[in-house]
Amino acid sequence: MKFSLKLADRILLIIMFFATIFVLISFFVIRGSLIQILMLGGLIYIISFLMTYFISRFFSRRVIKLNFKVQEMAAGNLSKRIKALKNDEIGQLTNSLNELMGRLQTGVAQDVSKHHELVKAKTDFVAIASHQLRTPLSIIKWYVDYLVAGDAGDINKEQEKYLKEVYKSNERLIELVNALLDVSRIDVGTFSIEPEPTDIIERAEAALEKFMPEIRAKEIHLIKEYSQFPLLELDPRLIRMVFHNIISNSVKYTPRKGTIKISIKKTERDIYIKISDTGCGIPREEQPKMFTKLFRGLNAKKLESVGTGLGLYIVKAIIEKSGGKIWFHSPSLELLLDAGKKDADIPLDKRNRGTTINITIPLKGMRKKPGSKKLNSSEY
Amino acid sequence: MSQKTILIVEDEIAMVEALSKKFEKEGFKVIEANDGEEGLRIAFEVKPDILMLDIIMPKMDGMELLKKIREDDKWGASVPIIMLTNLSDTDNVSEAAKFQVYDFLVKTDWRLDDVVNLVKQKLNI
Repeated sequence: MKFSLKLADRILLIIMFFATIFVLISFFVIRGSLIQILMLGGLIYIISFLMTYFISRFFSRRVIKLNFKVQEMAAGNLSKRIKALKNDEIGQLTNSLNELMGRLQTGVAQDVSKHHELVKAKTDFVAIASHQLRTPLSIIKWYVDYLVAGDAGDINKEQEKYLKEVYKSNERLIELVNALLDVSRIDVGTFSIEPEPTDIIERAEAALEKFMPEIRAKEIHLIKEYSQFPLLELDPRLIRMVFHNIISNSVKYTPRKGTIKISIKKTERDIYIKISDTGCGIPREEQPKMFTKLFRGLNAKKLESVGTGLGLYIVKAIIEKSGGKIWFHSPSLELLLDAGKKDADIPLDKRNRGTTINITIPLKGMRKKPGSKKLNSSEY
Repeated sequence: MSQKTILIVEDEIAMVEALSKKFEKEGFKVIEANDGEEGLRIAFEVKPDILMLDIIMPKMDGMELLKKIREDDKWGASVPIIMLTNLSDTDNVSEAAKFQVYDFLVKTDWRLDDVVNLVKQKLNI
Protein backbone atom coordinates (compact mmCIF):
# COMPACT_ATOMS: atom_id res chain seq x y z
CA MET A 1 0.00 0.00 0.00
CA LYS A 2 1.19 3.43 -0.90
CA PHE A 3 2.10 5.54 2.10
CA SER A 4 0.30 8.88 2.21
CA LEU A 5 -0.12 11.37 5.00
CA LYS A 6 -3.52 12.47 6.11
CA LEU A 7 -4.39 16.07 5.26
CA ALA A 8 -4.74 17.12 8.88
CA ASP A 9 -1.40 15.48 9.70
CA ARG A 10 0.21 17.35 6.87
CA ILE A 11 -1.09 20.68 8.16
CA LEU A 12 0.13 19.87 11.65
CA LEU A 13 3.55 18.82 10.34
CA ILE A 14 4.00 22.00 8.31
CA ILE A 15 3.08 24.21 11.30
CA MET A 16 5.36 22.24 13.59
CA PHE A 17 8.15 22.53 11.06
CA PHE A 18 7.86 26.33 10.79
CA ALA A 19 7.42 26.82 14.51
CA THR A 20 10.55 24.78 15.24
CA ILE A 21 12.59 26.79 12.70
CA PHE A 22 11.46 30.08 14.20
CA VAL A 23 12.22 29.00 17.72
CA LEU A 24 15.66 27.67 16.68
CA ILE A 25 16.45 30.90 14.81
CA SER A 26 15.47 33.05 17.78
CA PHE A 27 17.64 30.97 20.08
CA PHE A 28 20.79 30.39 18.14
CA VAL A 29 20.98 33.07 15.44
CA ILE A 30 19.52 36.15 17.11
CA ARG A 31 20.18 35.10 20.68
CA GLY A 32 17.25 37.30 21.53
CA SER A 33 15.79 38.32 24.79
CA LEU A 34 12.62 36.95 26.31
CA ILE A 35 10.55 39.73 24.72
CA GLN A 36 11.93 38.93 21.30
CA ILE A 37 11.12 35.25 21.77
CA LEU A 38 7.62 36.11 22.88
CA MET A 39 7.20 38.35 19.83
CA LEU A 40 8.38 35.51 17.66
CA GLY A 41 5.88 33.27 19.38
CA GLY A 42 3.19 35.78 18.39
CA LEU A 43 4.47 35.74 14.82
CA ILE A 44 4.35 31.97 14.74
CA TYR A 45 0.79 32.17 16.04
CA ILE A 46 -0.21 34.55 13.23
CA ILE A 47 1.57 32.55 10.54
CA SER A 48 0.07 29.28 11.66
CA PHE A 49 -3.33 30.93 11.79
CA LEU A 50 -2.95 32.21 8.24
CA MET A 51 -1.66 28.89 6.99
CA THR A 52 -4.46 26.94 8.59
CA TYR A 53 -6.89 29.43 7.12
CA PHE A 54 -5.56 29.00 3.60
CA ILE A 55 -5.25 25.28 3.85
CA SER A 56 -8.76 24.83 5.16
CA ARG A 57 -10.05 27.16 2.48
CA PHE A 58 -8.35 25.08 -0.15
CA PHE A 59 -9.76 22.01 1.53
CA SER A 60 -13.33 23.26 1.73
CA ARG A 61 -13.22 24.55 -1.85
CA ARG A 62 -12.55 21.00 -2.97
CA VAL A 63 -15.35 19.70 -0.78
CA ILE A 64 -17.75 22.29 -2.17
CA LYS A 65 -16.78 21.37 -5.72
CA LEU A 66 -17.29 17.72 -4.93
CA ASN A 67 -20.66 18.52 -3.41
CA PHE A 68 -21.80 20.21 -6.61
CA LYS A 69 -20.99 17.12 -8.58
CA VAL A 70 -22.71 14.85 -6.09
CA GLN A 71 -25.80 17.02 -6.28
CA GLU A 72 -25.79 16.66 -10.03
CA MET A 73 -25.72 12.89 -9.59
CA ALA A 74 -28.48 13.03 -7.01
CA ALA A 75 -30.59 14.97 -9.49
CA GLY A 76 -30.55 11.91 -11.70
CA ASN A 77 -27.39 11.99 -13.76
CA LEU A 78 -26.42 8.54 -12.64
CA SER A 79 -23.82 8.01 -15.33
CA LYS A 80 -21.67 10.94 -14.12
CA ARG A 81 -18.28 10.05 -12.65
CA ILE A 82 -15.95 12.36 -10.74
CA LYS A 83 -12.25 12.48 -11.51
CA ALA A 84 -10.10 12.09 -8.40
CA LEU A 85 -7.20 14.59 -8.65
CA LYS A 86 -5.24 13.42 -5.63
CA ASN A 87 -5.04 10.29 -3.60
CA ASP A 88 -5.86 12.00 -0.26
CA GLU A 89 -9.09 11.59 1.73
CA ILE A 90 -11.06 13.66 -0.72
CA GLY A 91 -9.66 11.60 -3.55
CA GLN A 92 -10.66 8.42 -1.74
CA LEU A 93 -14.11 9.80 -1.01
CA THR A 94 -14.45 10.59 -4.70
CA ASN A 95 -13.52 7.07 -5.66
CA SER A 96 -15.98 5.58 -3.19
CA LEU A 97 -18.69 7.85 -4.54
CA ASN A 98 -17.94 6.71 -8.06
CA GLU A 99 -18.22 3.12 -7.02
CA LEU A 100 -21.48 3.77 -5.19
CA MET A 101 -22.91 5.47 -8.27
CA GLY A 102 -21.89 2.55 -10.40
CA ARG A 103 -23.73 0.11 -8.18
CA LEU A 104 -26.73 2.39 -7.86
CA GLN A 105 -26.93 2.77 -11.59
CA THR A 106 -27.08 -0.93 -12.31
CA GLY A 107 -29.41 -1.45 -9.33
CA VAL A 108 -31.86 1.23 -10.36
CA ALA A 109 -31.75 0.15 -13.97
CA GLN A 110 -32.58 -3.41 -12.95
CA ASP A 111 -35.37 -2.19 -10.73
CA VAL A 112 -36.97 -0.07 -13.43
CA SER A 113 -36.78 -2.79 -16.03
CA LYS A 114 -38.20 -5.28 -13.56
CA HIS A 115 -41.12 -2.94 -12.95
CA HIS A 116 -41.74 -2.61 -16.69
CA GLU A 117 -41.61 -6.36 -17.07
CA LEU A 118 -44.19 -6.79 -14.35
CA VAL A 119 -46.60 -4.30 -15.89
CA LYS A 120 -46.10 -5.89 -19.28
CA ALA A 121 -46.67 -9.36 -17.86
CA LYS A 122 -49.92 -8.14 -16.33
CA THR A 123 -51.17 -6.58 -19.57
CA ASP A 124 -50.02 -9.55 -21.58
CA PHE A 125 -51.96 -11.78 -19.27
CA VAL A 126 -55.09 -9.76 -19.85
CA ALA A 127 -54.61 -9.80 -23.60
CA ILE A 128 -54.00 -13.53 -23.67
CA ALA A 129 -56.75 -14.40 -21.22
CA SER A 130 -59.28 -12.32 -23.07
CA HIS A 131 -58.23 -13.85 -26.36
CA GLN A 132 -58.49 -17.36 -25.00
CA LEU A 133 -61.85 -16.64 -23.38
CA ARG A 134 -63.37 -14.73 -26.23
CA THR A 135 -62.52 -17.13 -29.02
CA PRO A 136 -64.76 -19.95 -27.75
CA LEU A 137 -67.40 -17.42 -26.76
CA SER A 138 -67.66 -16.04 -30.28
CA ILE A 139 -67.66 -19.52 -31.75
CA ILE A 140 -70.64 -20.42 -29.55
CA LYS A 141 -72.31 -17.16 -30.43
CA TRP A 142 -71.96 -17.65 -34.17
CA TYR A 143 -73.04 -21.27 -34.28
CA VAL A 144 -76.09 -20.66 -32.13
CA ASP A 145 -76.86 -17.69 -34.34
CA TYR A 146 -76.50 -19.92 -37.35
CA LEU A 147 -78.84 -22.55 -35.91
CA VAL A 148 -81.47 -20.09 -34.70
CA ALA A 149 -81.55 -18.40 -38.10
CA GLY A 150 -82.46 -21.79 -39.55
CA ASP A 151 -79.41 -21.78 -41.80
CA ALA A 152 -78.57 -25.36 -40.83
CA GLY A 153 -82.08 -26.63 -41.38
CA ASP A 154 -85.44 -26.06 -39.70
CA ILE A 155 -85.64 -26.25 -35.93
CA ASN A 156 -88.80 -26.64 -33.88
CA LYS A 157 -90.14 -24.14 -31.38
CA GLU A 158 -88.75 -25.95 -28.37
CA GLN A 159 -85.28 -26.20 -29.86
CA GLU A 160 -85.40 -22.54 -30.73
CA LYS A 161 -86.36 -21.66 -27.17
CA TYR A 162 -83.44 -23.59 -25.71
CA LEU A 163 -80.99 -22.24 -28.24
CA LYS A 164 -82.05 -18.73 -27.32
CA GLU A 165 -81.33 -19.54 -23.68
CA VAL A 166 -77.85 -20.72 -24.69
CA TYR A 167 -77.40 -17.50 -26.62
CA LYS A 168 -78.51 -15.36 -23.66
CA SER A 169 -76.16 -17.10 -21.23
CA ASN A 170 -73.34 -16.78 -23.69
CA GLU A 171 -74.01 -13.03 -23.96
CA ARG A 172 -73.80 -12.86 -20.18
CA LEU A 173 -70.42 -14.54 -20.26
CA ILE A 174 -69.21 -12.13 -22.95
CA GLU A 175 -70.36 -9.21 -20.81
CA LEU A 176 -68.52 -10.63 -17.81
CA VAL A 177 -65.29 -11.08 -19.77
CA ASN A 178 -65.60 -7.51 -21.05
CA ALA A 179 -66.12 -6.18 -17.54
CA LEU A 180 -63.18 -8.18 -16.17
CA LEU A 181 -61.01 -6.87 -18.96
CA ASP A 182 -62.04 -3.31 -18.10
CA VAL A 183 -61.31 -3.85 -14.44
CA SER A 184 -57.89 -5.18 -15.22
CA ARG A 185 -57.19 -2.21 -17.49
CA ILE A 186 -58.23 0.06 -14.65
CA ASP A 187 -56.03 -1.80 -12.16
CA VAL A 188 -53.00 -1.85 -14.42
CA GLY A 189 -53.67 1.78 -15.33
CA THR A 190 -53.43 1.31 -19.09
CA PHE A 191 -56.85 2.70 -19.99
CA SER A 192 -57.07 6.02 -21.77
CA ILE A 193 -59.42 8.99 -21.36
CA GLU A 194 -59.82 10.88 -24.63
CA PRO A 195 -62.02 13.96 -24.22
CA GLU A 196 -63.61 15.55 -27.28
CA PRO A 197 -66.56 17.94 -27.70
CA THR A 198 -69.53 15.85 -26.61
CA ASP A 199 -73.25 16.37 -26.12
CA ILE A 200 -73.78 14.93 -22.66
CA ILE A 201 -77.57 14.76 -22.93
CA GLU A 202 -77.32 12.81 -26.19
CA ARG A 203 -74.93 10.38 -24.46
CA ALA A 204 -77.34 9.87 -21.56
CA GLU A 205 -80.20 9.29 -23.99
CA ALA A 206 -78.12 6.85 -26.02
CA ALA A 207 -77.41 4.81 -22.89
CA LEU A 208 -81.06 5.00 -21.80
CA GLU A 209 -82.26 3.84 -25.21
CA LYS A 210 -80.95 0.34 -24.59
CA PHE A 211 -83.07 -0.03 -21.45
CA MET A 212 -86.32 1.41 -22.82
CA PRO A 213 -87.88 -1.98 -23.62
CA GLU A 214 -87.31 -3.14 -20.05
CA ILE A 215 -88.46 0.18 -18.58
CA ARG A 216 -91.68 -0.04 -20.58
CA ALA A 217 -92.18 -3.70 -19.71
CA LYS A 218 -91.85 -2.96 -15.99
CA GLU A 219 -93.99 0.17 -16.35
CA ILE A 220 -91.33 2.20 -14.60
CA HIS A 221 -92.10 5.88 -14.27
CA LEU A 222 -89.20 7.77 -15.84
CA ILE A 223 -88.48 11.38 -14.91
CA LYS A 224 -85.85 13.40 -16.79
CA GLU A 225 -84.54 16.80 -15.79
CA TYR A 226 -81.91 18.19 -18.13
CA SER A 227 -80.20 21.59 -18.22
CA GLN A 228 -79.05 23.03 -21.52
CA PHE A 229 -75.40 22.22 -22.13
CA PRO A 230 -72.94 23.36 -24.76
CA LEU A 231 -70.61 20.69 -26.15
CA LEU A 232 -68.32 19.62 -23.30
CA GLU A 233 -64.87 18.03 -23.37
CA LEU A 234 -65.82 14.48 -22.40
CA ASP A 235 -64.80 11.03 -23.53
CA PRO A 236 -68.01 10.03 -25.32
CA ARG A 237 -67.52 6.29 -24.84
CA LEU A 238 -66.66 6.54 -21.17
CA ILE A 239 -69.46 8.92 -20.29
CA ARG A 240 -71.94 6.64 -22.00
CA MET A 241 -70.50 3.72 -20.08
CA VAL A 242 -71.05 5.62 -16.83
CA PHE A 243 -74.71 6.22 -17.69
CA HIS A 244 -75.08 2.66 -18.94
CA ASN A 245 -73.76 1.04 -15.78
CA ILE A 246 -75.78 3.20 -13.38
CA ILE A 247 -79.05 3.04 -15.32
CA SER A 248 -78.56 -0.70 -15.71
CA ASN A 249 -78.53 -1.08 -11.92
CA SER A 250 -81.54 1.19 -11.47
CA VAL A 251 -83.60 -0.69 -14.02
CA LYS A 252 -82.55 -4.05 -12.64
CA TYR A 253 -83.43 -3.36 -9.01
CA THR A 254 -86.44 -1.07 -9.35
CA PRO A 255 -89.70 -3.02 -8.99
CA ARG A 256 -92.67 -2.80 -11.33
CA LYS A 257 -94.28 0.65 -11.38
CA GLY A 258 -91.32 2.12 -9.54
CA THR A 259 -89.66 5.42 -10.41
CA ILE A 260 -86.31 6.33 -11.94
CA LYS A 261 -85.24 9.94 -12.12
CA ILE A 262 -82.32 11.16 -14.21
CA SER A 263 -81.21 14.70 -13.59
CA ILE A 264 -78.31 16.39 -15.38
CA LYS A 265 -77.88 19.95 -14.14
CA LYS A 266 -75.33 22.68 -14.52
CA THR A 267 -73.85 24.14 -11.35
CA GLU A 268 -71.34 26.94 -11.11
CA ARG A 269 -68.34 24.76 -11.94
CA ASP A 270 -69.66 21.28 -12.50
CA ILE A 271 -71.97 19.04 -14.41
CA TYR A 272 -74.12 17.53 -11.68
CA ILE A 273 -75.58 14.15 -12.57
CA LYS A 274 -78.08 12.57 -10.23
CA ILE A 275 -79.70 9.23 -10.92
CA SER A 276 -82.30 8.11 -8.39
CA ASP A 277 -84.50 5.07 -8.17
CA THR A 278 -87.01 3.43 -5.88
CA GLY A 279 -85.17 0.11 -6.04
CA CYS A 280 -84.12 -2.15 -3.23
CA GLY A 281 -81.37 0.21 -2.06
CA ILE A 282 -78.14 -0.74 -0.35
CA PRO A 283 -78.27 -2.08 3.22
CA ARG A 284 -76.53 0.34 5.56
CA GLU A 285 -74.02 -2.20 6.83
CA GLU A 286 -72.92 -2.94 3.28
CA GLN A 287 -72.62 0.65 2.12
CA PRO A 288 -68.89 1.02 2.78
CA LYS A 289 -68.25 -1.74 0.24
CA MET A 290 -70.45 -0.15 -2.41
CA PHE A 291 -67.70 0.76 -4.89
CA THR A 292 -65.42 -2.22 -4.34
CA LYS A 293 -64.78 -4.88 -6.93
CA LEU A 294 -67.35 -7.70 -7.10
CA PHE A 295 -69.61 -6.11 -4.49
CA ARG A 296 -73.27 -6.98 -4.72
CA GLY A 297 -75.76 -6.19 -2.00
CA LEU A 298 -77.23 -9.24 -0.24
CA ASN A 299 -80.74 -7.97 -0.96
CA ALA A 300 -79.78 -7.38 -4.59
CA LYS A 301 -78.48 -10.92 -4.97
CA LYS A 302 -81.78 -12.31 -3.70
CA LEU A 303 -83.69 -10.15 -6.12
CA GLU A 304 -81.66 -10.76 -9.24
CA SER A 305 -79.05 -13.43 -9.83
CA VAL A 306 -77.53 -11.75 -12.88
CA GLY A 307 -74.84 -9.19 -12.19
CA THR A 308 -71.08 -8.98 -12.19
CA GLY A 309 -70.53 -6.60 -9.29
CA LEU A 310 -68.08 -4.69 -11.44
CA GLY A 311 -70.23 -1.89 -12.89
CA LEU A 312 -69.89 0.70 -10.14
CA TYR A 313 -66.22 -0.07 -9.59
CA ILE A 314 -65.64 0.81 -13.24
CA VAL A 315 -67.82 3.94 -12.99
CA LYS A 316 -65.93 5.15 -9.94
CA ALA A 317 -62.57 4.65 -11.63
CA ILE A 318 -63.69 6.53 -14.74
CA ILE A 319 -65.12 9.46 -12.78
CA GLU A 320 -62.24 9.82 -10.37
CA LYS A 321 -59.51 9.42 -12.99
CA SER A 322 -61.15 12.13 -15.07
CA GLY A 323 -61.28 14.62 -12.21
CA GLY A 324 -64.86 14.16 -11.03
CA LYS A 325 -66.54 12.97 -7.83
CA ILE A 326 -69.06 10.26 -7.10
CA TRP A 327 -71.14 9.51 -4.01
CA PHE A 328 -74.51 8.02 -3.16
CA HIS A 329 -77.41 8.00 -0.74
CA SER A 330 -79.47 5.02 0.20
CA PRO A 331 -82.27 5.37 1.15
CA SER A 332 -82.66 7.83 -1.68
CA LEU A 333 -83.69 11.21 -0.32
CA GLU A 334 -84.79 12.21 -3.78
CA LEU A 335 -87.65 9.76 -4.16
CA LEU A 336 -88.21 8.86 -0.52
CA LEU A 337 -91.59 10.56 -0.28
CA ASP A 338 -92.64 9.11 -3.57
CA ALA A 339 -91.68 5.61 -2.54
CA GLY A 340 -93.16 6.09 0.90
CA LYS A 341 -96.59 6.84 -0.50
CA LYS A 342 -96.64 3.74 -2.64
CA ASP A 343 -95.31 1.44 0.06
CA ALA A 344 -97.53 2.75 2.83
CA ASP A 345 -98.93 -0.69 3.53
CA ILE A 346 -95.53 -2.44 3.60
CA PRO A 347 -93.67 -2.63 6.93
CA LEU A 348 -90.90 -0.02 7.20
CA ASP A 349 -87.95 -2.40 7.08
CA LYS A 350 -89.31 -4.25 4.05
CA ARG A 351 -89.81 -1.15 1.93
CA ASN A 352 -87.69 -0.40 -1.06
CA ARG A 353 -85.37 2.26 0.13
CA GLY A 354 -84.06 3.42 -3.21
CA THR A 355 -80.66 4.76 -4.18
CA THR A 356 -79.37 8.05 -5.51
CA ILE A 357 -76.03 8.13 -7.28
CA ASN A 358 -74.48 11.60 -7.49
CA ILE A 359 -71.71 12.49 -9.89
CA THR A 360 -69.96 15.75 -10.60
CA ILE A 361 -67.65 16.35 -13.54
CA PRO A 362 -65.93 19.73 -13.97
CA LEU A 363 -67.59 21.87 -16.67
CA LYS A 364 -64.18 22.35 -18.21
CA GLY A 365 -64.29 18.67 -19.06
CA MET A 366 -62.70 15.34 -18.24
CA ARG A 367 -59.00 15.21 -17.53
CA LYS A 368 -57.11 13.67 -20.44
CA LYS A 369 -55.33 10.44 -19.60
CA PRO A 370 -52.99 8.85 -22.09
CA GLY A 371 -53.08 5.07 -22.18
CA SER A 372 -52.63 2.22 -24.56
CA LYS A 373 -56.04 0.61 -24.12
CA LYS A 374 -59.62 1.75 -24.37
CA LEU A 375 -62.14 0.61 -21.81
CA ASN A 376 -64.73 -1.76 -23.14
CA SER A 377 -63.63 -2.55 -26.61
CA SER A 378 -66.98 -2.11 -28.25
CA GLU A 379 -70.55 -0.99 -27.91
CA TYR A 380 -69.95 2.39 -26.38
CA MET B 1 -74.40 -9.49 -60.27
CA SER B 2 -71.31 -11.64 -60.54
CA GLN B 3 -70.38 -13.85 -57.62
CA LYS B 4 -68.06 -12.11 -55.19
CA THR B 5 -65.03 -13.86 -53.71
CA ILE B 6 -64.13 -13.50 -50.05
CA LEU B 7 -60.93 -14.71 -48.46
CA ILE B 8 -61.13 -15.48 -44.74
CA VAL B 9 -57.79 -15.87 -42.96
CA GLU B 10 -58.33 -17.21 -39.45
CA ASP B 11 -56.56 -19.95 -37.51
CA GLU B 12 -59.56 -21.07 -35.48
CA ILE B 13 -61.13 -23.75 -37.70
CA ALA B 14 -64.55 -23.64 -36.05
CA MET B 15 -64.73 -19.91 -36.57
CA VAL B 16 -63.76 -20.08 -40.23
CA GLU B 17 -66.39 -22.77 -40.71
CA ALA B 18 -69.16 -20.67 -39.22
CA LEU B 19 -68.22 -17.65 -41.32
CA SER B 20 -67.75 -19.53 -44.57
CA LYS B 21 -71.04 -21.47 -44.22
CA LYS B 22 -72.85 -18.20 -43.66
CA PHE B 23 -71.20 -16.44 -46.60
CA GLU B 24 -71.79 -19.39 -48.90
CA LYS B 25 -75.47 -19.27 -47.98
CA GLU B 26 -75.42 -15.60 -48.92
CA GLY B 27 -74.04 -16.46 -52.35
CA PHE B 28 -70.37 -15.67 -51.90
CA LYS B 29 -67.47 -17.74 -53.11
CA VAL B 30 -65.48 -18.39 -49.95
CA ILE B 31 -61.79 -19.25 -49.77
CA GLU B 32 -60.22 -20.16 -46.43
CA ALA B 33 -56.69 -19.88 -45.11
CA ASN B 34 -55.58 -20.96 -41.66
CA ASP B 35 -52.45 -18.92 -41.09
CA GLY B 36 -50.88 -15.70 -42.30
CA GLU B 37 -48.42 -17.21 -44.76
CA GLU B 38 -51.06 -19.35 -46.41
CA GLY B 39 -53.32 -16.30 -46.49
CA LEU B 40 -50.68 -14.23 -48.25
CA ARG B 41 -50.02 -16.89 -50.88
CA ILE B 42 -53.70 -17.45 -51.62
CA ALA B 43 -54.46 -13.73 -51.59
CA PHE B 44 -52.06 -13.02 -54.46
CA GLU B 45 -53.11 -16.17 -56.33
CA VAL B 46 -56.83 -15.52 -56.21
CA LYS B 47 -57.02 -11.75 -55.74
CA PRO B 48 -60.39 -11.89 -53.91
CA ASP B 49 -62.89 -9.00 -53.83
CA ILE B 50 -62.64 -8.64 -50.06
CA LEU B 51 -60.56 -10.06 -47.22
CA MET B 52 -61.21 -10.78 -43.56
CA LEU B 53 -58.08 -11.17 -41.48
CA ASP B 54 -57.77 -12.42 -37.94
CA ILE B 55 -55.03 -10.59 -36.02
CA ILE B 56 -53.52 -13.25 -33.77
CA MET B 57 -52.42 -16.12 -36.00
CA PRO B 58 -49.46 -18.49 -36.25
CA LYS B 59 -46.60 -17.94 -38.71
CA MET B 60 -47.65 -14.44 -39.74
CA ASP B 61 -50.11 -12.27 -37.86
CA GLY B 62 -52.92 -10.31 -39.41
CA MET B 63 -51.24 -6.93 -39.11
CA GLU B 64 -48.19 -8.10 -41.02
CA LEU B 65 -50.32 -9.79 -43.62
CA LEU B 66 -52.21 -6.52 -44.04
CA LYS B 67 -48.94 -4.64 -44.63
CA LYS B 68 -47.74 -7.20 -47.17
CA ILE B 69 -50.98 -6.95 -49.12
CA ARG B 70 -50.92 -3.16 -49.12
CA GLU B 71 -47.35 -3.21 -50.46
CA ASP B 72 -48.75 -4.44 -53.76
CA ASP B 73 -49.49 -1.36 -55.86
CA LYS B 74 -52.33 -2.73 -57.99
CA TRP B 75 -54.87 -5.09 -56.51
CA GLY B 76 -53.56 -5.05 -52.92
CA ALA B 77 -53.47 -1.27 -52.61
CA SER B 78 -57.23 -0.83 -52.70
CA VAL B 79 -58.90 -4.17 -51.91
CA PRO B 80 -61.30 -3.78 -48.96
CA ILE B 81 -60.03 -5.46 -45.79
CA ILE B 82 -61.84 -6.16 -42.54
CA MET B 83 -59.86 -7.07 -39.43
CA LEU B 84 -61.23 -9.72 -37.10
CA THR B 85 -60.20 -9.32 -33.51
CA ASN B 86 -60.88 -10.39 -29.98
CA LEU B 87 -60.25 -7.09 -28.33
CA SER B 88 -59.82 -3.61 -29.63
CA ASP B 89 -56.34 -2.43 -29.08
CA THR B 90 -55.65 1.21 -29.83
CA ASP B 91 -52.18 0.51 -31.18
CA ASN B 92 -53.41 -1.88 -33.84
CA VAL B 93 -56.39 0.30 -34.72
CA SER B 94 -54.21 3.33 -35.45
CA GLU B 95 -51.63 1.14 -37.18
CA ALA B 96 -54.28 -0.33 -39.46
CA ALA B 97 -55.70 3.13 -40.22
CA LYS B 98 -52.38 3.92 -41.92
CA PHE B 99 -53.27 1.19 -44.40
CA GLN B 100 -56.80 2.45 -45.03
CA VAL B 101 -58.39 -0.22 -42.85
CA TYR B 102 -61.05 1.20 -40.56
CA ASP B 103 -63.14 -1.88 -39.87
CA PHE B 104 -62.20 -3.67 -36.70
CA LEU B 105 -64.71 -6.29 -35.95
CA VAL B 106 -64.67 -7.52 -32.37
CA LYS B 107 -65.92 -11.04 -32.85
CA THR B 108 -67.93 -11.42 -29.66
CA ASP B 109 -69.92 -8.26 -30.40
CA TRP B 110 -71.10 -9.14 -33.90
CA ARG B 111 -73.90 -11.37 -35.03
CA LEU B 112 -73.29 -13.31 -38.21
CA ASP B 113 -75.96 -11.34 -40.05
CA ASP B 114 -74.28 -8.07 -39.14
CA VAL B 115 -70.94 -9.40 -40.37
CA VAL B 116 -72.54 -10.26 -43.70
CA ASN B 117 -74.14 -6.81 -43.88
CA LEU B 118 -70.82 -5.11 -43.26
CA VAL B 119 -69.17 -7.08 -46.03
CA LYS B 120 -72.03 -6.30 -48.44
CA GLN B 121 -71.81 -2.64 -47.54
CA LYS B 122 -68.06 -2.66 -48.25
CA LEU B 123 -68.73 -4.17 -51.65
CA ASN B 124 -71.68 -1.88 -52.37
CA ILE B 125 -74.16 -4.73 -52.73
